[in-house]
Formats: sequence, structure tokens, C-alpha cells
Amino acid sequence: MELFSEIYSCYFKVLRHILCSQNELTIQDIHNQISREGFEESLLSIIPKLESGAWNLFEKKGEIYISKISSDFIAPLSHLEKSYLKALLNDPRIKLFLNKKELEYLNHILFPISPLWKQEDFYYYDQFTGGDPYEDENYQNNFHLLVEGQKSKEFLNIDYTSPKGNRVHHYYVPLSLEYSVKNNKFRLLAVRKTGHGNMELQILNLDRIKSISHTGKFCTNPISLNEMIHNSYYKEPLTLHIKNQRNTLERAMLHFANYEKNTTKIDENTYECLIYYNQGMETELLIEVMSFGPMITVVGNDKFLYSLKKRLKRQLSLS
Amino acid sequence: MSDFQELIKSFPKTREYVRDFFVYGFKNRNEFKGKSPRTYDNERRRLESWLSPYVRKDYTPKGFNISLAIDSNLLDTNPLFQVWKTKSFTDNDIVLHFLILNILIKHKSMSIEDITDTLLTEYESFFDVQTVRRKCNTYVKEGLLQKEKKGKTVLFSLDTSLALWLKSNENIKDALSFFQMAGNFGIMGNHLLEHLDWENHIFRVKHSFFVHTLEDEVLYAILNSIKGKTSVKLELKSSKTKAKNTADCIPLQIFTSTRSGRRFLCAYIRKSRRFTCYRLDTIQSLIPLEKAEDYDTILDKLNKNRQKLWGVSFQNDSRNHLDKLTMTLHVKEPSENYILDRLDREGRGGSVTKIRENIYKYETEVFDCNEMLPWIRTFIGRIVSLECTDKSVEARFYQDLNVMCQMYQISETQ
Repeated sequence: MELFSEIYSCYFKVLRHILCSQNELTIQDIHNQISREGFEESLLSIIPKLESGAWNLFEKKGEIYISKISSDFIAPLSHLEKSYLKALLNDPRIKLFLNKKELEYLNHILFPISPLWKQEDFYYYDQFTGGDPYEDENYQNNFHLLVEGQKSKEFLNIDYTSPKGNRVHHYYVPLSLEYSVKNNKFRLLAVRKTGHGNMELQILNLDRIKSISHTGKFCTNPISLNEMIHNSYYKEPLTLHIKNQRNTLERAMLHFANYEKNTTKIDENTYECLIYYNQGMETELLIEVMSFGPMITVVGNDKFLYSLKKRLKRQLSLS
Repeated sequence: MSDFQELIKSFPKTREYVRDFFVYGFKNRNEFKGKSPRTYDNERRRLESWLSPYVRKDYTPKGFNISLAIDSNLLDTNPLFQVWKTKSFTDNDIVLHFLILNILIKHKSMSIEDITDTLLTEYESFFDVQTVRRKCNTYVKEGLLQKEKKGKTVLFSLDTSLALWLKSNENIKDALSFFQMAGNFGIMGNHLLEHLDWENHIFRVKHSFFVHTLEDEVLYAILNSIKGKTSVKLELKSSKTKAKNTADCIPLQIFTSTRSGRRFLCAYIRKSRRFTCYRLDTIQSLIPLEKAEDYDTILDKLNKNRQKLWGVSFQNDSRNHLDKLTMTLHVKEPSENYILDRLDREGRGGSVTKIRENIYKYETEVFDCNEMLPWIRTFIGRIVSLECTDKSVEARFYQDLNVMCQMYQISETQ
């Protein structure tokens, strides 16, 4: 069993889609499909194979290609795929998705399969305690409703307790569920209408949601979450200078790998890294930068620099 | 570049290039030492082809710079999964894949001879029996086909019932959408999603470190050794010096950092009678050795020792078995009570005691307090005092603090 195998390759997937389409295809149709689903240069490899008949998977009638494969073609699962599924059944988060009957069916059908890993094979040594209650029925129901709401774009009536303890009640359209491995928690990214009729992006912790109910009202306007997040970034990114000592460069690049960033070398031993972020990320980013101590220098922006200096001044006054 | 091929035969070589582009994201042609410019050009062209939507090109005075612009907050999948879908194959491989599976979907079970005949009569594809047998036996090993003997005849068949059930079940497809982003071996979840023609549009992962998928081949081999409770010989390559080395050890567990995504193999070295952690990205390959008869006893010992680990280091510089660290903090009540929550959630079992109003003490005992320094620095602005039985830890904290104050021109008089 190989992880790196041609049965999972991009070319096999593209061909399967072309072969199952069942339409009479011109070479241009095939071109278009490869361009949509293949790599940038896949056309150069695939088209000559089809034209020459080296991949004898089509019947050719003049300029028309007709698939030799049935439209209901589906490959069985490989051992690795089954073994992966079996491992997921032991993850406490699987109950957020599957009901008892579905879990029983999968456990039954995968009974002879050995899981790809066991939960105890992994140890997350710096994961925060106090993760979300995945076994809690109310939490599971809320999770389901949010997934459904995200698909149907329904305004959901959400009753929520804010971090300050206030009860908040609003209509939200769920856009995305965001998971943090570090916190072992889910957050809901949703929009709600402001008093001016605009849509405003909000972030709610799932474990603070008390109840959710349907409203029967749906959002008909297209909403681009990425655009909303991009627009929320400060115009001026955080600019860091990183000295390549104590392996800092590699550590920093890994640490900040989940931010949109751009890094360039500015002299023999120093690198400049621009990190794009928004107000919601600010405190966490400040803490992460401070954890590197003097190995990272904040050059800008002024707002970030001010926050960092304020912490250092406060520290000097304490020690 | 007439011999340029978009697909590749083996994964490890490419793994290093992708890592350099993704992790560092700033190396130009001249900085890729030890590789010919031709090799660099070919590898770069491949990466650009596989990952084209994410490739950013910058022109600098020192030359052409390419990097991967990936922001995990904005993505529905891991772009580096593409690298796993690049395995090269022969013309026979792809033709036989579709035709044999298609024949067995229609005809339920068949002998090799019948499959070979059907290939010719129904699909106008001539293959010799040996080639068809080889492919069928390979697919039995992969789990795609079943093989059974009826009398003297060996029959091959397949079962698509599970695949069809998964395809009709939206809950499991949502689960796969999530786990491909947030779980181990996300690449397998992603393969399954593609198999079921489903895409994730719901889930995102906040602290996701895409580059670590590149270590999954090594991880798979390690987990097989853990399952078999065997010793292994690791072939290692230092990420800093690029020096090669080997180590004989007993793999016990995978330690994962949720802050950097780094994964380590925690193993027992019998020769020195110590636990040690190896970063997965430094492991080139592993060779299975003999079964470790005392595996369970060693694992029990690790579980006991783990309680005194802060990160991945089992020993310190001070030669004490354990070091004690005490941090006193100023926490303004009740407006800064979230700091107490942080100590509770992030303090890994350390105790928190109220000394007097607005002053709290955090205490813990671990093998290596040096590992705590990055976390301690996150409390800068609130630390009244820091004491450690390993004096070098105290010294380093205050030294670094002084340097930072000088860097930002902050003095006590301000």
C-alpha cells in the first residue's frame, strides 16, 4: 500500500471525469476539461496520448470521442482509504457529523480493517485544555444546524453568550466553520445585517452558542468570505526583520506559515517578512512575535510597534 | 527542456524543494546550493505547474524569486496535496485501470483469461495474460480487487457498495471535508473527497501548517513500526547542516506541536537508555528491524515521563533531573482575569496561586525549562519576577528582555 500512487493521481481523476461524462466529445471539450481540472501543463502530456490512441479509452468517430467506460463507473475503496476511514471512527469529533446508525454501519463494514492510526499514537503536547464539548448533544445539534444553514444560506436565529457574559441574540447567515487545532475549538464565521442594511462579518465561539432556531428566511445575495477577510486586513502589514540565529528563520517561517506573508532576504543574515492581518488577529500575533524575543525585530506598522513598546514599558516598570 | 515531465517517479526528492519554497518562500536560483541550475529550473517548472494558482513571482535585485502565497485562513483545502497527485505511470497502467475496473463492475467476477478476452473483444485492447494478471494482483494488494479460488479457477471481483454508500451520504462527505483539513493524513481524506466528487466549502482551519503533509510518507512507515512494535534504523538529515546520520531506536509515539505544526517521533534508544525526539522532516527513511519484546514496558515508562515534559526535550543543561520554574504575575482583577484563564489552559498542569490582590504565582516542574521561554515571553508586561532552579533560564530571559528594550529604545525613565 503506497500513499504516493498513481491511482490517486490528478491525471486518473481528470480522465475519469472525461470518461464518465458520456457525451460525444470534441478534442476542444477534452482540452477544456483538462485545463479546468489538470495541472498547468497537463494538456501537453494528455492530449497526444489520446490523439495517438496510446490511451485506448475512447472510440473515435471522425472528430468525435466516445467513452468506452460506463457513466456509473466508480472505483472501489483502496485498503488505505478504508484504513483512513476506520481511524476517523475513533475520533471524538466524528459524532459531530455522523448519527448513531451511520456510525454503526461504518463500524460494521470496516470491522476487519485495521485503522491507519490510533488516537493514542499522537500526543499534542502544547494543545490548550478546555476544548469544545464534542460529546454534548446540544453542541452536536447546533453544529448540525450551522452546517445545514451554511449550505442553504438561511438566516439562523442564534442565542449567544459573549465572552463578557452578555446574552446576544441575532439573525446570522453561517459562512464557514473554523477549527483551531491549538484551542481544539470551533468558531463560526457568519454575517448579520447592520442597521444600515450592510452585511457585517462576525465570529462566534461555538461553545458559547446556547440555542439556534430556523427563521425560514434566506440570503439571496452572493457573499465572498475571502473578500470580506481580505478587506478586513490592515493596509499596512506587520513588517518583521528576522535574524538567522538560533535557527530563528526556520522557526519563524513555520510559526507564521498560516498567515499570508512575503519574505525577502535583505542582507547576509537578515530577512524581511511582511505579514497581512486584521484587528481580530492582532493580539495573538503580538503574543507570537513576543515569544521570539530579540531574534525578531518589529519594524512596522506603527500601531503594532506601539502595542509592543507599551508591553515592554509596562514590564520595565514591574521588574 | 525537451525532456521535461510534469509527473515524477519518487516523492522524497521533490519533498525538499517544495519545503524550501513553501517554508522559506524567498530562495532564488543562486541560493539553491548543491543542485545544478538545470535541476532547479525543472523542479521550479514542475512546482509552478502543480501549484500555479498559489505561485507568486517577485523580481529582486538579486534575481527572480518564486514563493508560495498561501493563507490557510482563506482556503478550503491544502494546496500542497497536489504534490501527492503527481506519480508517473505507464500507458498500460492507466488503460488497464479503467478497463479492468469497468469490466468487473459489469461482469461481477471473472478469471484472468476471461478479463483478457473481454479486453480484446469488447474494448479492442490487446494485452497478454501475464500483464493483466500482474495488474489484477497489484490491485488485490491495494484493496481494489478481491481474489478467490473456485475449483481450479482463480476469480477476480470488486465491491463498490461502500463507495456508493459514501457517495450518497452527505454527512460523511462533510466529515471528510473537515478531516482533510484538520486531521492526520489529510491527503487520504482529500483523495476520498475526490473519489466521491465532493469539495469542501464549509470548513477552514485556523492553525493549519500545510507543509507538514510532505512528511506523511515517513509518518506512515513510522506508524507501521509502532503497530508492529518493532525497532527501526532511522536515516536522518539535519535541516541546518544537511549532515547525514543514522539512529537505531524503538518508535513509540508522534509528538505534535499545535503552534508550529511540527511533528516529532518520540523513540527509545536502547543503547543510551534514553527517550529522544526526532523531527519528522529530518527523517529521510526508516528500515524496520527486530520486534521489541519489552515494547509495552517502555511505552508505560514514556507515559509516566510525559507528565514532566514541557515540549520534546527529556533533559536539561543544569544536570538536575527536574527543574522548577516560578513566575509571579501582575493580573489586574477582574478586568484581566483572562490571563488566569490563559495560565489554566496553556500552563500544562502548572499550579496557579493567588499571593495577594492582583498578584498570582504560576509554578511548575519540568525536565527542560529552556523550552518554556517562548511561552514565558508572551507574558511580558505582567511578569513581576521569574525564578528557576536552572539559573541559565532566568539569565536568558532577563538578557533577552534587556536586548529588546535596547532594540526599541525603552528605558526605565520613560
